[in-house]
Amino acid sequence: MFQKYVFPRNVSAAVHLLNEHRGNARIMAGGTDLILDLQNGKYSTDCIVDITRIEELKQISEENGNIVIGAAVTHNQATKSFLVQQNAAALAQASAAVGSQQIRNISTIVGNVVSAQPAADSAVALFALDAQVRVVSADGLTVMPIENLYAGIGKSTIDSTLSLVTAVLIKKVEPGEGSAFVRLEQRKALTLPMLNTAVKISVKDQRIKEARIVMAPVGIGPVRATESEAFLKDKMPSEEVLQEAGRLAAENANPRDSLVRGSRNYRLAVLPVLVRRALEQAINNAEGGGF
Amino acid sequence: MIPENIIGKSISRVESAEKATGTAVFTADMKLPNMLFGKVLRSPYPHAKIVSIDTSKAEALPGVKAVVTYKNSPSVIFNTAARTAQQKINQVDDEVIFGKVVRYVGDEIAAVAATSEEIAAEALTLIEVNYEILPAVFDPLEAMKPDAPQLHDCKNGNNIATLIKLPMGDVEQGFAESETVIEQSFKVPVQKHCQLENHAAIAEVSHNGRITVWSPTQTPHTAKNLLAKIFGLPASKVRVLNPPYIGGGFGARIGFCGKTEPIAVLLAQKTGRPVLLSYDRKEDFIASDTRHSGYITVKLGAKKDGQLKALYINAVLNTGAYASYGPDVIAVLGTTNCSVYRVPNVLFEGSLVYTNTTTAAAMRGFGNPQGNYALECSMDILAEKLGLDPVELRLKNIIKPFDKWMLPYPCATSALEDCIQLGAKSIGWERRNEPKVPVNHKVRGIGMACGTHVSNAGPWAIQYDNAYLAVQQDGSVLVTVGITDMGQGSATALTQVAAEALGVPVEKVHVLAGDTDTSPHSLGSNASRTLYSAGLSIINAADKVKQQILDFCAGEFGVDSSELSIKNGIVSCKDPNKGQLKFEEVCDLANHKDLQFVAVGRNKLSNAPPWIAHFAEVEVDLETGEVEVLRFVAAHDSGKIINPTIVEGQIEGAVLQGVGYALSEQIVYNDKGQQAQDSFHEYYMPSIKDTPEIETIIVETEEPSGPFGAKGVGECAQVPVAGAIANAVANAIGDRINELPMNKERVLAAIMQKEK
Amino acid sequence: MSYLQLKCIVNGDLVELDIEPSELLIDVLRDRLNLTGVKKGCKKGECGACTIIMNGDAVNSCLVPAARAQGAVIETIEGISKTGRLHPLQQCFIENGAIQCGYCTPGMIMSAKALLDKNPHPTKQEIREALAGNLCRCTGYVKIEKAVEQAAKIIFEITEGRGTSK
Repeated sequence: MFQKYVFPRNVSAAVHLLNEHRGNARIMAGGTDLILDLQNGKYSTDCIVDITRIEELKQISEENGNIVIGAAVTHNQATKSFLVQQNAAALAQASAAVGSQQIRNISTIVGNVVSAQPAADSAVALFALDAQVRVVSADGLTVMPIENLYAGIGKSTIDSTLSLVTAVLIKKVEPGEGSAFVRLEQRKALTLPMLNTAVKISVKDQRIKEARIVMAPVGIGPVRATESEAFLKDKMPSEEVLQEAGRLAAENANPRDSLVRGSRNYRLAVLPVLVRRALEQAINNAEGGGF
Repeated sequence: MIPENIIGKSISRVESAEKATGTAVFTADMKLPNMLFGKVLRSPYPHAKIVSIDTSKAEALPGVKAVVTYKNSPSVIFNTAARTAQQKINQVDDEVIFGKVVRYVGDEIAAVAATSEEIAAEALTLIEVNYEILPAVFDPLEAMKPDAPQLHDCKNGNNIATLIKLPMGDVEQGFAESETVIEQSFKVPVQKHCQLENHAAIAEVSHNGRITVWSPTQTPHTAKNLLAKIFGLPASKVRVLNPPYIGGGFGARIGFCGKTEPIAVLLAQKTGRPVLLSYDRKEDFIASDTRHSGYITVKLGAKKDGQLKALYINAVLNTGAYASYGPDVIAVLGTTNCSVYRVPNVLFEGSLVYTNTTTAAAMRGFGNPQGNYALECSMDILAEKLGLDPVELRLKNIIKPFDKWMLPYPCATSALEDCIQLGAKSIGWERRNEPKVPVNHKVRGIGMACGTHVSNAGPWAIQYDNAYLAVQQDGSVLVTVGITDMGQGSATALTQVAAEALGVPVEKVHVLAGDTDTSPHSLGSNASRTLYSAGLSIINAADKVKQQILDFCAGEFGVDSSELSIKNGIVSCKDPNKGQLKFEEVCDLANHKDLQFVAVGRNKLSNAPPWIAHFAEVEVDLETGEVEVLRFVAAHDSGKIINPTIVEGQIEGAVLQGVGYALSEQIVYNDKGQQAQDSFHEYYMPSIKDTPEIETIIVETEEPSGPFGAKGVGECAQVPVAGAIANAVANAIGDRINELPMNKERVLAAIMQKEK
Repeated sequence: MSYLQLKCIVNGDLVELDIEPSELLIDVLRDRLNLTGVKKGCKKGECGACTIIMNGDAVNSCLVPAARAQGAVIETIEGISKTGRLHPLQQCFIENGAIQCGYCTPGMIMSAKALLDKNPHPTKQEIREALAGNLCRCTGYVKIEKAVEQAAKIIFEITEGRGTSK
């Protein structure tokens, strides 16, 4: 395992450390996944660059119509944040579903995205919320949509030996917008989901203006239900419409058979139900039904 | 002032302050001078022959002190059950510490002792093994076929470790006399104990070769005898003890804890240093005993009015790579489930089958929960076919005291009828037939199941227990017994028993358990027997000591001993003018006359049936198949209750293990023969958020054979849980699943099947 | 291997010791500080037996690099009854029969303490949420939940009493 453990004071110091070690230093936020991956040999590094003491990364703030969630913000911090609850109900719900109290006290929203597990709860919510991420490396700052981060199952396009995600940005909620997160699980704590789905919806004059529907684990990373999203445009959200939206969502899903998380057939059978329920809750949230 | 009567009082556990403050010592908390750390190399294949094994690189690694394989370890063949079975059970010896053939993923190949756990782990990666991979089989029905890969040479048929047949009456005749006959097959999964403390052992070998092993074994004497056999030593040269605390057992630690004890001893012998061998959670999951999975078929015949005429149960159990307690487990499955109802014609047939999976052995209920699930679902199927209420059908047929049954001991007490009626009232049984109207796509259902269990290990196992009781010079009392307290509370309950039996305050009694050097023989803690069996031997010892005290005092008072009594720590005479002596005064007096009151207590060989009726209310999500247990009522007759809080705790914990068994827990095998569930993350034992409201109802009886009227309790509450929940799910959705666990997938499949 | 000098407060005492950068907090607490009340159940953050309180939050000490404890305030089960008096949670666990084998108990009590320290009047649901990361195989959780409810009441009474005496 690693021989050095450092706490940079700011982001540029972190980037500097990465450069100095030329690929032999790695960013760690909460580390709840990384510590295990270092033990089982998925990763190895000489130096851990712990970013949890960088003050600016520990904040949830408002900036130019966005909610900015720093890379050291934990799941529990997000769940309890009024800003997140008000503007990103799906993220608050998803963050509350991760692991356990002890895990959520350490694990971070951004880490959940960078570890690139297909069914990472908060990442699924962030997909639905059309989040952007700020990536900083020696080359400077870039901002990109969260979709760009997934390179494969458990593989991120972010190389944590070269760069770090400093924050995720979520647009503040507009009138008529709402979101929700729904999870199917085999135990109510300490477990990955069999399926999870997050929805962001925008309703105007009782019609759906736009819906973003994201599902997992049904492919590489969180998957958009594009057919369903197109179908919902300008529809009145009746029971039949939402049912059909659920059915269409399954067309974009390609779950695997898992001896631990359920068969492909079962997951295809219940996915429409989850999507419908998430849509119902998101519409409720848009209408002012709180978190 | 001490309480008049300490039986039936919920005193706090004697050890709970140590556990609450973190000072309680468990095996892996111990540090001995010069201690080394062990690690085990395990088979990655479900079935293979070891062609060659080269340990030279591992041995050369700095810090490595010994490497052991089949080449330098005893080849004594044993069974972890250690000949505790009675002769009528055909115990099968089929294991060695390290063999040349590995039979499941996780089977032991080699072990290393090193100065740190990290070095030991690194050394394992340097051991070079060449395997000849053999064909493997994972399902017992497949394994029984003549052309299936053979694990062991079996005389009963391919891979059949044991065949058992238990008849009573004429079952063919019984079915012929029946007006309604039903038959149904069920499939049950592998369940894992998941005691929170992983298996571990520390072994130390003295210069004269005497072995001391600290481990969380539930059966120190069994482990001691087995180690003596394997290492060719007199049993008196082996000491096995708990450190003293055990982080749960549930049957996983009967005999050995995995193979930690013999491997630790072997490494300690080779190195001359103490060795700690501590399994990690994955090893605990894949390489220590599980509950038996398998197939169970029940055929029931009854008259139109519901009177049972015939019962046939057939069980094919998967015992995995080695037989272990399998022969005993399958026998208990049969006898317990043939003894719930008054049926004149009964036949049980069982086949215990080897497969290339983790060895199955004892787990809470010992075969009974598997059989009970099948039996109790079948009772509901029969009730439906007869048009009878399931409660009514059961009340009509349950065993009553002194009914004829197949067991060699009598049913002297039963409050099952009361348990059923009180449970039905509490759950609101009358709501069961209300129309099922879904609310938010959810429907509710109510179901029940009942059953019996044991209070001791006989007639299948050797079941006697002895106790030493020594009254100290200050009047306090030391009791030593060979059972263990793995968390079930026996040390506390036995303290109450000893205090009551001698008439002294509980504060003056200490019960020392779990050490073979200090205690006479005991089968240990299993079979719901600890309080029952050790309690009887303690009472016997107390009676003897009491007589010694009375005889001594008779001399002091100058009266006949029949004139004297001991109560509340005072020896007094019928004639109040003759005075009285405090217990401690008597002991001091005796001490000054060179006398100590000591005795060996022995129990009578007996057993008795506890009775259980469970009721569940569930809610089923018709769209996802999710089942939530809303409320669970557990009504129990465990005889006289010594400590109600401890008994409730046993019931609540076992109910939740049953909920997991019913709904979510299983270990299945992938196409490489690996366990798909090898961590808590993937094995869905319930969390606090999955826990239903549990109500416990105790109906006391006075069991004449038990200590102060007590019967067994520890395993009982796991027995009918799955059946009660299965019957509730069937009531909710109008269809049956017939396979455990009833996870979302299976429940939804049944719902969709029903809709077609 | 470069050593790292770790300075932190453990159970009220300043601890200074050299650690390897890759050591985990659970191992430092158990093996170096002999705080074996911190139990090892899975070493993967899946059982909660190693739960401690770090800077006020319940965490799995098996998932925390010891280096991260630099400057931290750490409480383990051994520290909550230091004055010789049992903490109300310990008392209530004992009195309610919430302890069986006792292996999950230290972690369970620390999770409950982290909850009550911040939320003196938890609902049943909040208690369950706080303890959901602590698996117990013995008790069925019934008496544990009861013990935490009762401890909350007792702690409130104690602090209320203090408040009125001022």
